[in-house]
Amino acid sequence: MPRIITCFKWVVDQADIRVVPGTDELSLDRVGYRISEYDRNCLEEGARLKEQYGGEVVGLTVGIPGAKKSIKDALSRGPEKAYFVTDPSFSNLEPGQTAAIMAAAISSQIEYDLIICGEGSGDLYAQQVGPRLAEMLGIPCAVFVNKIEIKEKEAIVECKVEDGVEVLALPLPALITVLPDINTPRVPGLKDTLAAGKKPVEEITLQDLNKSFDPYLETLNVRATSMERTCEKMDAGSEGIAKMVAVLTKAGVIS
Amino acid sequence: MIFKLTEEQELIVANMREFAQKYVDPIAVEIDEESRHPAEVMEKLAEDGWMGMPYPAEYGGAGLDFLTYAMVIEELSRSCAATGFTVSCHTGLGAGPIFEYGTEEQKQKYLIPLCKGEKLGGFALTEPGAGTDVAAGSTTAVLDGDEYVLNGTKTFISNGPVGDIFIVVAITDKELSAPKGMSAFIVTKDNPGFRVGEIFKKMGIRSSQTSEIILKDCRVPKEDLLGKVGQGFRIAMQSLDNGRIGVASQALGIAQASLDESIKYSKERIQFNKPIARNQAIQWMIADMVTDIAAARFLTYNAAYLKDQGLPYSKEASMAKLFTAETAMRHSSKAVQIHGGYGYIKGFKVERLMRDAKITEIYEGTSEAQRMVIAANVLR
Repeated sequence: MPRIITCFKWVVDQADIRVVPGTDELSLDRVGYRISEYDRNCLEEGARLKEQYGGEVVGLTVGIPGAKKSIKDALSRGPEKAYFVTDPSFSNLEPGQTAAIMAAAISSQIEYDLIICGEGSGDLYAQQVGPRLAEMLGIPCAVFVNKIEIKEKEAIVECKVEDGVEVLALPLPALITVLPDINTPRVPGLKDTLAAGKKPVEEITLQDLNKSFDPYLETLNVRATSMERTCEKMDAGSEGIAKMVAVLTKAGVIS
Repeated sequence: MIFKLTEEQELIVANMREFAQKYVDPIAVEIDEESRHPAEVMEKLAEDGWMGMPYPAEYGGAGLDFLTYAMVIEELSRSCAATGFTVSCHTGLGAGPIFEYGTEEQKQKYLIPLCKGEKLGGFALTEPGAGTDVAAGSTTAVLDGDEYVLNGTKTFISNGPVGDIFIVVAITDKELSAPKGMSAFIVTKDNPGFRVGEIFKKMGIRSSQTSEIILKDCRVPKEDLLGKVGQGFRIAMQSLDNGRIGVASQALGIAQASLDESIKYSKERIQFNKPIARNQAIQWMIADMVTDIAAARFLTYNAAYLKDQGLPYSKEASMAKLFTAETAMRHSSKAVQIHGGYGYIKGFKVERLMRDAKITEIYEGTSEAQRMVIAANVLR
């Protein structure tokens, strides 16, 4: 029976991000946070595999102390226990740092047969944490998976590739990143939510890990993209078409 | 007073939002147009544990405080006020009196299946000649051996055609002045002589099922008397206090949805080359909505909080119901106004919201009755 780690990230709710009027600066003053959309599929897949094969599912997240708010939400979606790796310095982590912190935490105290991550995170969407974590742990990895079966000591997975589907057999322990179409996350019921408050949460601090996790990059600024739009009206007659050609030529779209 | 939600309350409300978006929003227009009871949603609500929210786990409930329950009804009603009301009528008026006044045997027999959502509850008080004037009821209950025999017609009974277990108030002693001669009974749809009469077609909350209940020599075992003989009026009044917090929460959901739709539409609708939200006329309407909804929310949460603390809350429940219902009516109308012609067309949510809002000023005590309760509380 597999021991599964489902990984999740507490991210800014994109719907709440505003651009400061007249600038390209982002306003995060009134943003809410939520479990990354992709990680909901990850949590659901953990719950589904447990229903199908038994075993145990735990949740794992890395973040600043404020990210603790994500734990109950995650626990209401399936895991029996959560590991919260936290430090005030864990904000704006690079994917490489996040993977290194997770690898250190897992190696120090979490036993597993399978690690599941979302395809990418809802904020950075770098799609790097899963593969980097697998590399650091020295285990096989499959990405963009939309079907998982467990057969004895192997995970049989279907990965979406450009021209179709690739079927792989991964010897366990292994890591898999899942696509949003692998499942439809359930809505936690009231009893799931109430039960989540009673599930154990283990905090792992930076001190416990006894390591430093330095960044490789320096973020200078985060700005909004903007798209310049102009509006030209023309009819479908020959004059209008000639005008359209002239406008597009002038704009450098055609030559 | 500031209501700072606990992490658990925030999560419960967020999960109900997710539930409503997934299961209720997609069918809300259809069940309104067809006046259809959303059995599939009720089944899912039961499965997920939402049908006995404020009652202890030992009776199949979730053990929530009443404040959280009120927030959940608000959130569900934000998607569909009829579904929100079906749940609050079942919970507050159907299950509530059994929890407050029932014997242990009655709780085992009736409260548990209600809380689990295996049975749907309702409350049969109103009669053709007795609306706000509850004491003018003419349904009678006469003891005959080990059974009471009930005769009379109840009308405008929410959940009537789809409910299983009802709290029925009837006169057991004609000699006493009306309130003192009334008693409450637990009556099931399977009691001999129980029949659903006319099913009403309504202006709003159309998927909430409303009918007459006709009791013709309806035999009810003596052990299904709720509380004591002569307590019926008191049970009814206390249940309505409960129910009023439910209706206030429902109205709050309607008002919030009116605001949600108005903000969205006024930012998208372009007239004179700019979104109509840039017009001061629209901004003022939205500012009034936000302010009134905040006040209504405080009143509603305050009434629920007082109930949770075991403090008197009758006046506060009436204040919450009165103000919130009138807020919902006023601002759903403004929301239609902001939408212009589109707001008057079926399929636009604000059209349904305005029809749904009206009933909150009428049932479980009209706005006028609420003013009577509030005034009586301060003028005594």
